[in-house]
Amino acid sequence: MDAYCSNNVLQARRAVEQLRLETELQRVKISAAAAQLVQYCQDHRRADPLLTGIAASSNPFRDKKTCVLL
Amino acid sequence: MSELEQLRQEAEQLRNQIRDARKACNDSSLSQITAGLDSVGRIQMRTRRTLRGHLAKIYAMQWATDSRLLVSASQDGKLIIWDSYSTNKIHAIPLRSSWVMTCAYAPSGSYAACGGLDNICSIYSLKTREGNVRVTRELSGHTGYLSCCRFLDDSQIVTSSGDTTCALWDIETGQQTTTFTGHTGDVMSLSLSPDSRTFVSGACDASSKLWDIRDGMCRQSFTGHVSDINAVIFFPNGNAFTTGSDDATCRLFDLRADQELMMYSHDNINCGITSVAFSKSGRLLLAGYDDFNCNVWDTLKGERAGVLAGHDNRVSCLGISSDGMALATGSWDSFLRIWN
Repeated sequence: MDAYCSNNVLQARRAVEQLRLETELQRVKISAAAAQLVQYCQDHRRADPLLTGIAASSNPFRDKKTCVLL
Repeated sequence: MSELEQLRQEAEQLRNQIRDARKACNDSSLSQITAGLDSVGRIQMRTRRTLRGHLAKIYAMQWATDSRLLVSASQDGKLIIWDSYSTNKIHAIPLRSSWVMTCAYAPSGSYAACGGLDNICSIYSLKTREGNVRVTRELSGHTGYLSCCRFLDDSQIVTSSGDTTCALWDIETGQQTTTFTGHTGDVMSLSLSPDSRTFVSGACDASSKLWDIRDGMCRQSFTGHVSDINAVIFFPNGNAFTTGSDDATCRLFDLRADQELMMYSHDNINCGITSVAFSKSGRLLLAGYDDFNCNVWDTLKGERAGVLAGHDNRVSCLGISSDGMALATGSWDSFLRIWN
């Protein structure tokens, strides 16, 4: 078996080992997983300024007022 | 049958097993579950600050954890640390190599890092006794370009590379503690989980992978995209992540269901996504596009909630500050914009 062949076999072996690992995963139903994501968003809704909007008074990036020298 | 053919058959069987296991969990969809949820309405943001100073395309940016400073990297050969409130430049750091593709800010605020076509991740100390900024480490070992880097803390950083691997580095010794192999294409982006125990990577092989930082193992692999993945970001609770790709879609993958939950696309959108970020609650997904715009998506309902137009060239990077107050976008037009 030349070097090119043995390289391919090595890669194929690694791929199979990795796939075996991944088949073992305990998966959760989408209904449950999705419900958790929705719950997280709802729970943190009020703490999300970009979602709820920011009052000018509490916005650190509110428009800078220009100074006028009289 | 040769060993190679046997292995290929076994791989095919295992892939079918995984596909069937995923299907068995496919009892609903995120869209179905959120059908009755109120939409987020129209999300409109305005540019509050424009950061001017780079002389060429900006390739990367990251907010500091104080939600005020940020670092940006441009192929004008500079790393700039900005005060986003005042637009002042705190530091303008000349780079040894101008071919920079990524930059990062350490959570402590004491270090910045960058790298690119030089294949090296350079670490800069921002708080030296002398008051100047200097290179403290050059992490070399990757045999391809540095596409992304993220600090775990002041002594550890994770990198992704065009050499198809990712690596965890001990900054003190300059050595790779762990190498993450498995991708078959350039790795373009990575995102650390909120608990720092895992990270996800996105690559040009159109797959994304979840890695255990401590033992170097790939725990899960996700397919679905049909072209290079350019960006990846964890959902704030660490149980899901979103990817952005050259195939003009963003996709949300759930770790526990081990599959794609939503695709964010539109017939009018035909260009690649360069960058993605979540708002603080995760309800909004921000994505930067090659067509100069940024789109705001309702993560849960899959609908577009807004468009941020303003840049005169590709949006190459973006990020949301940790207090959730602002979105920063960086562009090939050489400017950064702060929006909220």
